[in-house]
Amino acid sequence: MEQVKVMKGIARAKGRASGEALVSEMRFGWGYNTVANESGIIGAYENPLNGQCVKGRIVVYPTVSGTTLGSVGLYYKCQVSKVGPTGIICRNVHDIDIAGAIAGEIPAVDCLDGDPLQEIRTGDLVEIRADEVGKEATVTITRKAANPL
Amino acid sequence: MKLDRTQQEMLDGKHGEVRRFALEKLVDFGNAVGAEEMVPLSFVLNVCPIEMKDRSHPDLSTFDMGHSPLYDKFIEIKDARVADESKTICLNDPYLVQIDKYEEPGYPWNFSWGDGSYKLPKDIYDGYVRGHDALKKHGWVMSQSCNSHLTTRTPRYGEYCASSESSVAAYLNTFVGARSNRESTVNTVYAGYTGYLPKYGMLLDENRRAKVIVELTDEVKEKMTDPADWAALGAVIAEKGGNRIPAVVNMPELLSPTAGKCLSGCVSAGMNDPMLHIIGSGLPESRTLEAAFGGKVPKDVERQIVTLDDVRDYYRKLDSAKSDKVDIVVFGCPHLTYDEVRQIARLVEGRKVSPNVHMWVQTDTPSYQMAQHNGEAKIIEDAGGKIYHSTCMGMNPVRTWSHDLNIATNSFKYVKLGGGFGQGWHFGAVPDLIDAAVTGRFVSTRW
Repeated sequence: MEQVKVMKGIARAKGRASGEALVSEMRFGWGYNTVANESGIIGAYENPLNGQCVKGRIVVYPTVSGTTLGSVGLYYKCQVSKVGPTGIICRNVHDIDIAGAIAGEIPAVDCLDGDPLQEIRTGDLVEIRADEVGKEATVTITRKAANPL
Repeated sequence: MKLDRTQQEMLDGKHGEVRRFALEKLVDFGNAVGAEEMVPLSFVLNVCPIEMKDRSHPDLSTFDMGHSPLYDKFIEIKDARVADESKTICLNDPYLVQIDKYEEPGYPWNFSWGDGSYKLPKDIYDGYVRGHDALKKHGWVMSQSCNSHLTTRTPRYGEYCASSESSVAAYLNTFVGARSNRESTVNTVYAGYTGYLPKYGMLLDENRRAKVIVELTDEVKEKMTDPADWAALGAVIAEKGGNRIPAVVNMPELLSPTAGKCLSGCVSAGMNDPMLHIIGSGLPESRTLEAAFGGKVPKDVERQIVTLDDVRDYYRKLDSAKSDKVDIVVFGCPHLTYDEVRQIARLVEGRKVSPNVHMWVQTDTPSYQMAQHNGEAKIIEDAGGKIYHSTCMGMNPVRTWSHDLNIATNSFKYVKLGGGFGQGWHFGAVPDLIDAAVTGRFVSTRW
């Protein structure tokens, strides 16, 4: 049986999205040199997620790492090459990623009422509702019974 | 967000469509980050686009950093112009190729190894030249440099800047006292055409305060000499700081621009907030620990110590190749200062780079011209190396190169930018890198 948990956070970029979670324990960046713009495949210095694809995923990570080109990298993957994530959840969404999420037209959420890196696991189904920037957003986590919440 | 009269007029379209559009985007972003006002900029640094009519070109996604489509609107509008009449100087980061040497072999945009080779595709090159020419027409200064703040215009203390080059932002905050975020490359486009940016992040006093003390031992203070030492030290400081702005205690009183550049080059790779408080420096906000913390130093403040072992360990950590073989030796991420070019020329004079090794010496345009004028460029080329300018090693698609290549450098930043794609990496001091270029084998003798 599935288990569902609803969390509250703050919308940093607006939108509604759902997708399978991909959780990075390490800080994470959206630059072309960490997530390829043409394929959405991760290839970052010392990142255990290397080889995985971000397309259609809700990507969860502590906060940004690396190049300021992460902003346009996120935009490009979402809007131009169409291999981007559907949304992002961080402990703190950095300004670089806020700019990228706005331009990429995906929701970005932080300040959840619990640590997203503890609460969300790779493979969970995650749904984001973030309708207004600076206001409350909801994050619904659905997990299969084999890995209870 | 509060707008002044000029900004409101701009938003109302009285200064043309380009500025209306760009300011509207900045207002949206400003609202998202809770900014209360816009500030005028003295310095904007961004990246030149690849201008392509057809974005379905199969090679485009490999080479476009993602920023190019943002320029479409500005290139479409006739007579688009950056806000340079308001004294905002708009500059460019380096990019894929030295435009006048596209066809010449042996450079990072056109070279071969063993049974493989790489050349920047002609269509991408043409698109890049179109983007370059369009921006030039718009009034961007095509400095294409990591060092525009040292060689083209140095902002003054307290001025607001928007640099998408992280090492420049860190240098400005740390050594000049001008204020810059590691600005997103979305915003720097709009900032160039308006001359404004929402006042947020590092532009605000309260976000510039130190959060942790990082103290160097006397041994560290005395022994940092090579550019690689400063790069490794920057990496250690960033790591010890744990992604917080550090107040760095016991730094040498005099730091050369090279030392400052290498130190601040750690920031893109290691820190989110691009600033170190070098305690004792002439900058009012860093002169004392109290100033750095914005008043009183908290009693329970965390204090980290950097020892020479920490620096040595970082050398080893960055030197991860499985064999001592070297295929490429690359200097200049961020761009070499003229002083570094002189050091390389002195060390390689009269020697020959191994035919199995590419030795690449990457600098900014003014330093390149000085090296041509004063003979260092000839020395490097006579030895079999390549010296070139206005290019970015970090933006090359290293992931498309053979994974059997071993790359040797003294740049922490470049290891972090390019180190995730399967090649082997050596990190070393300049004399060891020159020896590696000559012998084809890397041996670290620095520590």
